[in-house]
Amino acid sequence: MPYPTAPADIFGLWVAWLLMLMIYSYPLYKENPAFRFAEHTYIGLMLAIMLVRTSITTTINMVAPPLMKGRVDYIIPIILGFMMYFLLSARYRWISRYPIAVLVGAGFGLGMRGVLIPNILKQVISTITPPATGAGAVDWWNYIYIAIGTICAVMYFILTWEHKGAMGYATRLGRWIIMIGLGAYFGNTVLFRMAMLSGRAQFFLQVLKIAPM
Amino acid sequence: MSEEELTFWEKLARIDRRVFYWILFIGLMIPFIRPIVFPIAISPSTRDLYEGIKEMVEPGDVVVMNIAFGVSAWPECMPAFCACTKLLIKEGAKIIFWGAYYDVDMTYQEVLRRCEDYFKDLKYGEDYVYLGYYPYQEAAVAQLAASIRSIFKTDNYGTPLDEIPMMKNVDKATDIKLVLSGDTGDVCDYYIRQWRIPYGTPVAEIGIAMLGSSYMPFYKSGVLFGMSVGVRGGAELEKLIGEPGEATIRMGAINISHILVVIAVILANIGYFASRRK
Amino acid sequence: MAEVLRREVVYLITAIVTVIMFIEFFFIGTWNVAEELRTWATIIANISLGLGAVRLLSEHAKNIQKRRAGVWPFSIWLWIIFLITILSGLAGYVTTHDAMKNPLYNWLFKWPYTSLGQTLYAITGFYIFSAAYRAFRARNIDAALLLIAGCFVILTNAPIGEVIWSGIPVIGRWFLDYGQVPAMRCFLIVAAFGMLAYGFRALLGRERGFYGEVVGE
Repeated sequence: MPYPTAPADIFGLWVAWLLMLMIYSYPLYKENPAFRFAEHTYIGLMLAIMLVRTSITTTINMVAPPLMKGRVDYIIPIILGFMMYFLLSARYRWISRYPIAVLVGAGFGLGMRGVLIPNILKQVISTITPPATGAGAVDWWNYIYIAIGTICAVMYFILTWEHKGAMGYATRLGRWIIMIGLGAYFGNTVLFRMAMLSGRAQFFLQVLKIAPM
Repeated sequence: MSEEELTFWEKLARIDRRVFYWILFIGLMIPFIRPIVFPIAISPSTRDLYEGIKEMVEPGDVVVMNIAFGVSAWPECMPAFCACTKLLIKEGAKIIFWGAYYDVDMTYQEVLRRCEDYFKDLKYGEDYVYLGYYPYQEAAVAQLAASIRSIFKTDNYGTPLDEIPMMKNVDKATDIKLVLSGDTGDVCDYYIRQWRIPYGTPVAEIGIAMLGSSYMPFYKSGVLFGMSVGVRGGAELEKLIGEPGEATIRMGAINISHILVVIAVILANIGYFASRRK
Repeated sequence: MAEVLRREVVYLITAIVTVIMFIEFFFIGTWNVAEELRTWATIIANISLGLGAVRLLSEHAKNIQKRRAGVWPFSIWLWIIFLITILSGLAGYVTTHDAMKNPLYNWLFKWPYTSLGQTLYAITGFYIFSAAYRAFRARNIDAALLLIAGCFVILTNAPIGEVIWSGIPVIGRWFLDYGQVPAMRCFLIVAAFGMLAYGFRALLGRERGFYGEVVGE
């Protein structure tokens, strides 16, 4: 965005910049009251924005139109939703079990029916499907690597039998395969964290007009 | 052990970690002052995402852009999300924006601002619509697939969906051409399980870098038709659409930070093996 | 009777909802009951999101009440900023049906909240760098494999990797497109079986961790 010109936005930009420096005073220097102040500012803002957007306005948007059209059954989920707040009471906590039961049931039912095809069936089919005819040696190597690697990695999680003998060799190979996968995951994690931090470094310079906005 | 008895590697290992933090923070700033640009190769998953959108989307098709990343993840997800938005507008798609984060309103405003040139010729309600926030929950995603109107009675501004021209015949997953999910977590899993498999709606992921690993099996097995991985994916998409932007500039900082991390790992291991030999 | 209401009825509700959701997959788009249940679950989840906020705010209220040393002034500030934000947001919603149209709420969202959110999320970048120096040692084959794969992927994600050596992106690309696939696929499959097992346990009322303990039980 271009460098703001409205006074409120310029003030906001510098407030944002200062709050960023307050937060980074913790890793770059040490814990201090400025960091705590900025941290509590964020928590207060986050809680308010979350409540405004989720529990209040979105709920009203979802229930008000049908209630006004005479759908009185929508009162039931509203009551169930508020029953959840009994979690805060040690004595009447059991009342919150009813909305939790609905949420847990919906979550498990949808999850169980959802994982069968994409997470199990499609993955197994993709693992055992050989390359198309005319595929080169590299494709065949990749296919064998993925097939054997997946089987050995899954075997590593089978805890019914002791990992000894032939199973021991397979599970050790599986562990190595898992380490390669976790290494790639670590590499992607570094990209993620550094991209976030570079955004802040860029913002630091942009506010000072050293880098273009 | 006194200071004189410590080896060079042991002294190095005892350096205050704040020194590393300063080196990193200052190092990250250098490419923004003196940009160094290297060519970016396009990964297969990003190319499939780009080609998939171009092949599947026809003018007038309704597409869902799911904003499941918060303001915190803008540096990672926003470049790719905006590149896809621009591509969809070029292809003539009608876009539904909705999101599963409570700060989705700010992200949507930012998308409009960054793609301002593309949106200026579009009409709200006819070419694009913003429905707002839905809870970060599989039940909500499943219900959106069955009936959008059961979750969103109105758009974000209170207009009933039946009064919005582009939403007149759109209510289920089968009315949607494809879903692009900008993610930091597992919302794309929900779209795979509740949109892609039961209804066949094509789904692609525009996510943070870690999801490039988590969702690779889905991409390889054909469940996802494409994937953009973090800011690198954003830079690749910017190259593909011919508009280098924020992600391309940010790759300079990525270069510096990644070199520093690899140097740190190498130095740490040299020191470890040197002190083991001692 | 009280025991039945507190336990068995709860497990029965879980089982019924689970079965309805599961079976509906085979009658997709035709079962109003399932669709209504999902809408209800969405509304319940929406309302319950306030629970965490209420808990956190009550903790900070206790800090203020007990004047906890070094903490209570910040708790007061938290409550102040919370009240200003929520009241301005609600004012915007009540008057225009869009909280973002309130200038104060918009300003607080756009400047302090966005900057703080991005800053706090990015702080882990520092820690991953110091961890790379202090913790990532190739102590055995497993760690060595992890680090080798990790370093190649890191240098592939950065365009400079190809400038250093043209083989880096070739090897790194292999790790990304094929090397990591067995492990990630394994996690998907194993987690899916775990979800199925867990779901059946919840269906049969054997999984009770969700329901919490109650005084007197």
